[in-house]
Amino acid sequence: MEAIEHPPIFRLPGIPDHVTYTWLVMIILAGLAFVGSRHLQLVPRGVQNFLEVVLEQFQQMIDDVMGSEGLLPYLKHFAGPVPLPLKPLMFVIEIISHLARPLSLTLRLFGNIVGGHILLAVIFLLMGLDGLIGWALSGSVPGAIIGGLGGIVTIVFTVGFLYPLKILVAFLQAFIFVMLTMLYIAGAIEESEHHAEQHAGHH
Amino acid sequence: MRRSLILGGLAVLAFPTAALAAEGGTGGWIAPFAVIAAGIGMAIAAGLCGLGQGRAVASAVDAMARQPGAAARIQTAMIIGLALIESLAIYTLVIALILLFVKGINFA
Repeated sequence: MEAIEHPPIFRLPGIPDHVTYTWLVMIILAGLAFVGSRHLQLVPRGVQNFLEVVLEQFQQMIDDVMGSEGLLPYLKHFAGPVPLPLKPLMFVIEIISHLARPLSLTLRLFGNIVGGHILLAVIFLLMGLDGLIGWALSGSVPGAIIGGLGGIVTIVFTVGFLYPLKILVAFLQAFIFVMLTMLYIAGAIEESEHHAEQHAGHH
Repeated sequence: MRRSLILGGLAVLAFPTAALAAEGGTGGWIAPFAVIAAGIGMAIAAGLCGLGQGRAVASAVDAMARQPGAAARIQTAMIIGLALIESLAIYTLVIALILLFVKGINFA
């Protein structure tokens, strides 16, 4: 693991690196908030303007998903249009479904990419210095013929077919990830829009 | 005939049991069964995934032949459907990898 260890900017003795980085992020955010809130003006300029825009974007996003009332009406929509005795069961199923979505996205991406890596590792094992090319270089005549031909065929197959296949899989999985994320967010937003329409109709 | 096929296939599981019991097998009971489970599980998942994706592509091609103007949208929906069906086989691949590399290595 030494080969992939990144030396940090500075290291506090006895404290893990990720804790140090988190404290650094906390100090930066607190400093930004302090600088932005010193001379508060009604018409914001500069840092105050920027922070207000960011804050409003977060609030608008949460408003879109959960509706202006808040958390509890959003959770009540989990139960769905079923008779009252079934509502607890539907609630549990919806919770599990919502928790399974990031898990499924993660496992899908991991399985596709690592599957390609394992296939490539097996090909290299068959072909490398322990396999065909090692046999070709070992000096025996059948080894040279079979190992040479097999090595060339394997290299052509790998570079010509497996690498484009891995690139295609990576592109496809990125597309699927983005598409599913958009679908999940759209499914969560339409609850609050439907709710807002009902309230607008009442008032 | 189908029942005899299934029973014959399950009889494969008797081999590691007999081998381990013959040598007075102490440790390493899980490793052969884990490897067999990974292999058979992945085979079943890949086969059924192939059937499902075949039906999806067949319906998509039928629809595209029926209405060539909507071919681009049908193709997009087909790609999304194929990736979602394939993800079920990928879940099985992850479980098979866990079985192979965590339980399939005999430390004895």
